[in-house]
Amino acid sequence: MAEEKTEFLKGTLDMLILKIVALGPIHGYAISQRIQQISKDFFQVPQGSLYPALHRLEDRGWLSADWRESETGRDAKFYTLTRKGRRQLETELVYWERLSDAVALILRTAE
Amino acid sequence: MHWFRRLFQKEKSEKQLDAELRFHLEKQIADYIALGMSPEEARRRANLDFGGLESIKQQSRESRRGTLIETFFQDLRYAARMLRKNPGFTIAATVTLALGIGANTAIFSIVDAVLLRPLPFKDSSRIMSVSTKSAMFPTFSLGNSWPAFQLIRSQATSLEESAVYSQSNKTLTGQGAPAQLSVTGVSDGFFEELGATPEQGRLLNPADQQPGQNLVAVLSDSLWRTRFGSDPAILGRTLVLDKQPYTIAGVASRSFSFPEKNDIWIPVAITRDTEHEPAAFMFQLLGKLRRGQKITQLNAQLDTIAQRLIKDYPTLKAGLSFTAEPLLESRVQNIRAAYFVLLGASTLVLLISCANLSSLLLARGSARQREMALRAALGASRGRLLRQGLVESCLIALLGGALGMLLAAGGVELFRRIAPAGTPRLSEISVDSTLLAFSLLTSIVAGLIFGLAPARRAARMDPNEALKEGTGTNLGASRTTHQSRLGNALVVVEVALAFILLIGSALMTQTLYNLLHQNPGFRTDHLLSFDLPGPRFTNEFDPKLIERQTARLKEIFSQVRAVPGVAGVTASDYGLLTGMMMMESNLQVEGEIPAKGSDERTAKIRYIYPSYFQTLGIPLLRGREFDDHANKDAPAGVIVNEAMAREYWGTLDVLGKRLISSQDEKGYPIWNEVIGVIADTRDVRIATKPSPGYYLSMLQGGTGSIHLLVRTSADPDALATSVTRQIWSEFPDQPVTHLTTMSRAISESLGNQRLRSVLLGVFAAIGFALALLGVYGVISYSVARRVQEIGIRMALGAAPRDVLRMVLQQGLWSVALGVVIGAAGALALARVIASQFYGVKPADPATFLAASAAVLAIACAACWIPARRAMRVDPIVALRYE
Repeated sequence: MAEEKTEFLKGTLDMLILKIVALGPIHGYAISQRIQQISKDFFQVPQGSLYPALHRLEDRGWLSADWRESETGRDAKFYTLTRKGRRQLETELVYWERLSDAVALILRTAE
Repeated sequence: MHWFRRLFQKEKSEKQLDAELRFHLEKQIADYIALGMSPEEARRRANLDFGGLESIKQQSRESRRGTLIETFFQDLRYAARMLRKNPGFTIAATVTLALGIGANTAIFSIVDAVLLRPLPFKDSSRIMSVSTKSAMFPTFSLGNSWPAFQLIRSQATSLEESAVYSQSNKTLTGQGAPAQLSVTGVSDGFFEELGATPEQGRLLNPADQQPGQNLVAVLSDSLWRTRFGSDPAILGRTLVLDKQPYTIAGVASRSFSFPEKNDIWIPVAITRDTEHEPAAFMFQLLGKLRRGQKITQLNAQLDTIAQRLIKDYPTLKAGLSFTAEPLLESRVQNIRAAYFVLLGASTLVLLISCANLSSLLLARGSARQREMALRAALGASRGRLLRQGLVESCLIALLGGALGMLLAAGGVELFRRIAPAGTPRLSEISVDSTLLAFSLLTSIVAGLIFGLAPARRAARMDPNEALKEGTGTNLGASRTTHQSRLGNALVVVEVALAFILLIGSALMTQTLYNLLHQNPGFRTDHLLSFDLPGPRFTNEFDPKLIERQTARLKEIFSQVRAVPGVAGVTASDYGLLTGMMMMESNLQVEGEIPAKGSDERTAKIRYIYPSYFQTLGIPLLRGREFDDHANKDAPAGVIVNEAMAREYWGTLDVLGKRLISSQDEKGYPIWNEVIGVIADTRDVRIATKPSPGYYLSMLQGGTGSIHLLVRTSADPDALATSVTRQIWSEFPDQPVTHLTTMSRAISESLGNQRLRSVLLGVFAAIGFALALLGVYGVISYSVARRVQEIGIRMALGAAPRDVLRMVLQQGLWSVALGVVIGAAGALALARVIASQFYGVKPADPATFLAASAAVLAIACAACWIPARRAMRVDPIVALRYE
C-alpha cells in the first residue's frame, strides 16, 4: 500500500476529524485508527496530514486540547470538540450533503 | 492574552508537539507488537509509516496561523526589508512626509504654546481681563478708572477676587548705567489672584498701599539675576526709580512673569486726580470668576455696574461699557488670526505630502503586483496582505515622522530666534513632549489613512489575473482605468491644495511688498531715532517743569548737533510708527462743518520740537512751522494736518481758525490759532490711513517723554554710538533707549507680516514642489503602465504627436481641474482672512491668473518628460515587453 494513497477531498479530512472528536475526547493516534476502522480501511490518514490538521483545527478554536492519562497509562494529548467546532461541523455536514446530492444528481442525469 | 502566552510558551509547545507525535509512534509500535511483530520489525514499520518526523512537526507548526504579534513582527521585518531594497522610493516617501509633518508639527507646537495652553497661573482659566469701551474711542479697548475698579470689586459678585495693575517705564539709576525698566504698579490682591509666590522676602500686601509706606518694590527673578548679580543680601536694599528711592521687599519666584517681561512691581500709585476721576482709564483689571459662574453672568453684572457708574458720574457720557474676556484671549487676540492662517497653511502642506505618499505607494503597489499575487496564491489572506500594506505605509510614516520631528524641533528653535519682539508668550514656546506626541500621532494617522487605499488596492487583486504572463493585456482594462482614476484624483487634490497655498503666499507677499513700499509721508532714510526717558509730567500746566525740560532739551540738542555727520535734530513726545498715538475727542473747533458720520470726531495730538517737519521732510502746505522762540504768555499756535483741515473745515485754507487744545492753570480753555497746515503722514502705523491730527509745540507743554529724531548726512548706524556718547558726556544719568534707525524701525514694525509672508512662502514652495512631484510621478507611472497600449496604438498608426497629446491631456486635465477647485477654495479662504492683507484684494484677478498660468506651465513641464518618453516608445519593443 506504499504509494497507494486515498486523496482526501479538500476539507473532507477536517470534517471527518471533527465528526470523530464529536464522539468524545480522543487522542491523535486513536483518531487515525477510528477513521481507518470506520471506513473499513478505505481512508488511511497519513500522520503528515493528521497532525497539521489537528493543530489547524485547534488554532481555529474548533477543537480544544488537554493532556490526560491514556488507556496505557501514559499522558496523551486529548482533543475535544468546542461549541464553535460543533457549529462548524454542522455547517460542513449540511454543505457535504448538498455537495454529494449535487454530485449524485449529475452522475445520475448524465447516465 | 492567548497570543501573548503562546509567544512566550514556544518552548513548551515544542515539547508538547514532540510528546504528542512520540506517543503516536509508541502506540503504533505497541499495536504492531500486539499483532505479532518482533519489536525491531514493529519499530521499523512504524517509523516507515510515519514518514519524516521533523517535516510533520514543521507542517503542524505552520498550520497554526501566526499570532497577531508574531505576524506583526514578520510584517515589520518584511516591510523593513522592502524599504531597504528600494532606497529611492523610501527616501522620496520619507522626505515627502517629513516636510509635511515637520511643518505642521512646528506650527502646531507654536500655536499650542501661545494660543491653546493655559497661562501659567493658578486657576488661569478663570482669570478674566475687564476692559472699558467708551463712546469717545469706540474702536479701542481701554483700561479701567479707579472708581470703576472700586465699583466692580464691590458689586460684581461673579468675581471672587479682583485687582488692578498699571504698567510704566521708569529709569533706574545708581546701579550701573542708567536703564529703563518695566515697572508695574499693582493693587492689593494682585499676587494672590495670580498665585504668585516670593523666591525671597515677601510680595506686596494691602499695608503697602498706605501713603508713606508705599515705597517698596518687588524684583523679578531675572532682574535680580542680571542687574543685581543674584545678590543674596538684596532684601532691604534701596532702589532708585525716577529719582525716587524704594526699599526692596522681595524677589518673585522665577516662574512668575506678569505682565510679560516685567522687571519690578510696586504698589499702584493713586493720586488725588485719579482716585475720583472716572475717565482716567489707566488701570488694567484682572478678576477671578467664581467657580461655576459663567462669563455671560459676569458681563451682565458689568452692564449694570456701567449704568450705575454713568449715573454716579454725570461727566461720563452714556456709551461706556465693560467687557470681560479670559485673560489668555485678551493677550493673544492680535495674533490669533495670523497663527491660525499659518496652522491652516501647514496643514495643507501636510495633506499634500500625505496625498503624495499615497500616490507613491500606489505606484509601488502596481510594480509589486506580481509579488502580491504570488503571496495571495500561496495562501496569504486578503486581510493579511492589507495589514502588510498598512504596516509598510506606517513604517514609512514613522520614519517620515521621526525626520519631521527633527525638522519641527529645528523650526521651533528658529522661530524662537526670529519671532518679532512683542510676540506674546514667546518664552513658553519650546521643543517638548507635545511636539513629540503630535508628530507621532500625525505620522501614524497619515500612514493608516493614506496607506489604506493603496493597500486595499494591492490586497484586492485577483492572483489568477495578475500571474498570467505574456498575454499583453495582463492587467485587465478595468483595473487600469480604475487605478489611474485614483492617481488622477490624487493629482487633483494635490494641485488644488498647492494652488490655495500659492494664492495665500502670493497675497501675503504682495501685502508685505505694499507695506514696505507704502510711502509714510516722511523721509525714512538717514534718520536715527531714540527715546530719552525722563520723569513724566504729572501736571501738564506746571510751567516751571516745562521750562526746565526745555532748557535741558535745548542743551541735549546742541550736544547732538555738534556730532559730525548730523544734519538736523528734532523731537516728538512719542515715537513714530510704534502703533501708539494720543487721541483727543470732543475737540472744540471754531467754524467746523458738521461731521458726516454719527461717530464722534477724534484727532491725534503730537507735541513736537521746532523744525520737526523740515527735519522729517514733511511738506508744509500752508503757513509756517513752530519757531524756537516760544512766548511763555501767548500760545504758540497749532499746526493741523491735511486730513484734519478737510474733516473739520472742508478746505486747506484754515490759517487763523481756532481750536481749544488745552486749559490754563485756572481751567479756562485756551484758544489756539492754526498757524500751518501740513501734509498727511502715516506716523502711527504704516498700514493705517492718515487720520485728522494736530501738532502742538513741545516748548509749551507735552507729556514729559521725549523721542529724539536725528537726520544724518552719513550712515545713521555709524553715528549711533557717537550720538549717545555725546549725550552721556554731558548727562551721564540720562538713559538712551530704543535706539534704532527709522528704516529698521519700519522693517521691525512689519515683523509679523514678514514672518507670516516668509513662512507662507516656504509652505507654498514645499507644497507646490510636492504637488509637481506628485503630477510627475502619477503621469510617469501611468505612461510606464501603458507602454503596451501605446505600442499598439503606434503600431496601428498613431503618430508620436498623438501619443504626446494623449499623455499631456491626461495630466493637464487633472491639473486644470485641481486649479479650478483650488481657485474656488482659495477664493473662499482668502475672503475669510481678508483682514490679513494690505493693498491687495483677496480675489485679485491678476494673482489668480498668474498663479493658474504658473501652475499649468510647470505642470506641463512635469508631464512633458514622461510624455516624451511615451512618444519614443518603439512599438516592437513595447509589444515584446515583459
